[in-house]
Amino acid sequence: MLLGPLAVAGPQAGAGRGPMGSIRGRVDVKREPPPIEPRPAVASLGMPALRAVPDRKRSVVYLATAPQGAFEDAERPRAVLDQRNQAFVPYVLAIRAGTTVEFPNRDRTYHNVFSFSKAKRFDLGRYAGGLSRSVNFDEPGVVRVFCEIHSHMSAFILVFAHRYFATTDAEGRYRIDEVPPGTYTVVAWNDGEARETRTVRIPESGGPVELDFVIE
Amino acid sequence: MAPREIARSLRGLAASLLALLPAASAGAGEPFSFAGGSIRLGAEASGTLSGPDRAYFNYTDYERSNLRIFRLNLDLEVTAGPHFAFVGEVRSDNFASPRPYALYVRVHPWTSRSFDVQAGRIPPVFGSYARRRYAADNPLPGMPLAYQYLTTLRADALPSAADELWERRGSGWLVRYPIGAPNFGPGMPLVNAERWDAGVEVKVGSDPVELTAALTQGTLSHPRIEDDNGGKQLSARLAWRPVVGLALAFSGARGQYVAREATDALPPAARGPLRQHAAGFDAEYAAGYWILRAEAVWSGWDIPPIAGTPKRRLDALGLMLEARYKVAPGFYVAGRADHLGFSRLDTASRSFDWDAPVTRLEIGVGYSILRNLLVKAAYQHNHRDGGRIHGRDFLAGQAVLWF
Repeated sequence: MLLGPLAVAGPQAGAGRGPMGSIRGRVDVKREPPPIEPRPAVASLGMPALRAVPDRKRSVVYLATAPQGAFEDAERPRAVLDQRNQAFVPYVLAIRAGTTVEFPNRDRTYHNVFSFSKAKRFDLGRYAGGLSRSVNFDEPGVVRVFCEIHSHMSAFILVFAHRYFATTDAEGRYRIDEVPPGTYTVVAWNDGEARETRTVRIPESGGPVELDFVIE
Repeated sequence: MAPREIARSLRGLAASLLALLPAASAGAGEPFSFAGGSIRLGAEASGTLSGPDRAYFNYTDYERSNLRIFRLNLDLEVTAGPHFAFVGEVRSDNFASPRPYALYVRVHPWTSRSFDVQAGRIPPVFGSYARRRYAADNPLPGMPLAYQYLTTLRADALPSAADELWERRGSGWLVRYPIGAPNFGPGMPLVNAERWDAGVEVKVGSDPVELTAALTQGTLSHPRIEDDNGGKQLSARLAWRPVVGLALAFSGARGQYVAREATDALPPAARGPLRQHAAGFDAEYAAGYWILRAEAVWSGWDIPPIAGTPKRRLDALGLMLEARYKVAPGFYVAGRADHLGFSRLDTASRSFDWDAPVTRLEIGVGYSILRNLLVKAAYQHNHRDGGRIHGRDFLAGQAVLWF
């Protein structure tokens, strides 16, 4: 499942209209995705430099049906996707549409960030360590980001039309706050795919709702 | 190539690309990896089409034109911890039986030091282009003249008189001389990027200074797996990266190139080591959407005494300038200007360049349909100051798929 259903409006949103709820829990990724490897370096004159290994177990949990009014937020936030030790950090970045993402190069070598994704096609060119370039992501969708120079560098940027999403922490925990009462479809996304979809109901009295996912 | 062969090549290209596409696009260009990444398998398939090349400007031997070829590379790297790797590549051109292109072991004794040893059929240390000869790394379908164009000099056959060189100017794709191998055969380029040499190489340092040196069986023009003359080649490259994005490097090589088959046919007094000497300079500057490259390769080949000239060495100089500029995400324009010149021979009857100078201009565009699926189109102009046909222009298209 892609992020298209994010445009669907569900129950009425709005702070101050009553008690709010939250959805929290844990995404347990059982599968062991292999590290993203560079192409065989046949023409290299020596062993390639050591690189950081991205955490492919990080997941994103989001509401497939967001509350009405959730799309009216005029905020223009900023986010950062680092390039460090020949890896994008974090491997998964979840943002709202309209967010400007900075891509600082913290290595000593050149990097060249680009994407050919439908949601955003861009190429930042080559720039040295200590410099940064930025891109505004104005359309919802999944954007796969690469480095032209280092074939093993890749990351995902999930661009949402609303703010009801959360990225898991190192232990797989997540929390989506300020969710109005109602019934929602909740999606757990991991490493390029929506892996599991569940339905959850926030009661009229609000409060936290526990929702765990297991991704095999 | 006959129309039936072209049709067969096209069918094969289409079938191969289609077969590879699902796997390649699913992984977004990532290689297949096994055993936790210790075993990695990658591939590059490229198909290049252009009109007939009756002047043999783009041939890399008598049977293969670089602008009319389907090529499939399969690359394997097996790492055993941080210190050892086994690297190999097999290649098939136009659906012929696959041949090993690279096969070597890499040793990295200290993880904290930039010191590597590679032994086997190894990548060349000389210059820059031969290591980025892959279609995905080459912005244009064509190759620089110094790494591809076949001169009239052979390793297994030698001229006996200067007039023979005059008569054969511009016909390096199929040439014959009276000393050594009696058959017709292709001449040698200054540096052969189509075949890698066998031997051992050492790399010391990385940034900002890197030194690599190799001891190999063959020479730049005539790489070998098995020795054919009892001599070895020593080559080295010193690279300096003063700032990120700029690389300047000097290369040198010296080794015996003439095969025993030819030297045995010489009088004993003329059998002294006949060597190829080479020096090179390469530079690359990249910033933003630009990549600029320049490369100069000088090569001198010792020759035995021949009638009509006192010269004992034939020289050639290749100069190349290349630029690539991205005009939009996934879309670039590129150009390369290239010249290959030869030293003069003076005989009683004439003064001439020992082979016909060649100039090549190539401009083109490239578009990435996917991250790992690139299509290119180019126009190539060639002019040769000699030979049967002096000039040829080509329109070429190339598709490259890799993972």
